[in-house]
Amino acid sequence: MGQNETAHAGAEDVGGGEEFDPIGTLTLIGIYFAILVLAWVYIYYVEFLGRDLVVVG
Amino acid sequence: MHIHAYEKLWLALSIVLILALIGTVTYGAVGPGVAMVADTQQTVDSGALDEDERFSEPRVEQVGENEYEAYVVAYQFAFEPSPIVVPANSTVTLHVTSRDVIHGFEVVGTNANTMIVPGEVSEITVETDEPAEYGIVCNEYCGAGHHVMEGKLHVVSQSEFENRGGDSA
Ligand SMILES: [Cu+2]
Repeated sequence: MGQNETAHAGAEDVGGGEEFDPIGTLTLIGIYFAILVLAWVYIYYVEFLGRDLVVVG
Repeated sequence: MHIHAYEKLWLALSIVLILALIGTVTYGAVGPGVAMVADTQQTVDSGALDEDERFSEPRVEQVGENEYEAYVVAYQFAFEPSPIVVPANSTVTLHVTSRDVIHGFEVVGTNANTMIVPGEVSEITVETDEPAEYGIVCNEYCGAGHHVMEGKLHVVSQSEFENRGGDSA
């Protein structure tokens, strides 16, 4: 990103490459994210809107 | 400032999630028309419901092509009328008020659920589908008989509704 910061950042960040790749954490968070989205879809669209007598006014 | 690629991904997904949640609520309001119980109703004198033209005689009445209004009174420890009989595949507006203390009005297993405050009229409009029988419970503690306070909502076919029209009016 910022050229200036990179210059001050020290050797470990030179070149902008990602040396620290917590792929396990990324995967785990990805799974959490998917659960969250699926749960929301289920709770709102299936359980809530799918019930009888939706209040419309 | 250096931002790790995963952090950017995380930020992007967070924004997507927020937009999706807002989008869902917007969809609910615009698509299926989900609404909240408003506080715009005129107040009533809870001590004189007998003289109120809407609540002196709890009932269901037809007000349009396929539109019905139900006037329901809750009191310790029942709902009136019981059962509330409405036709299937119609739009029903329930006006619910209390004669004494705060009660709840929950049509079990459905989204029709509101608080009933003496002096206030809770108005909820619902669309009925197929004929069905629902229970109604009071979900606000209202006294010694709270646990036995229940009502019934019967959604009956149009023809059955017309047949019993004489006695429910
Ligand atoms: Cu009650």
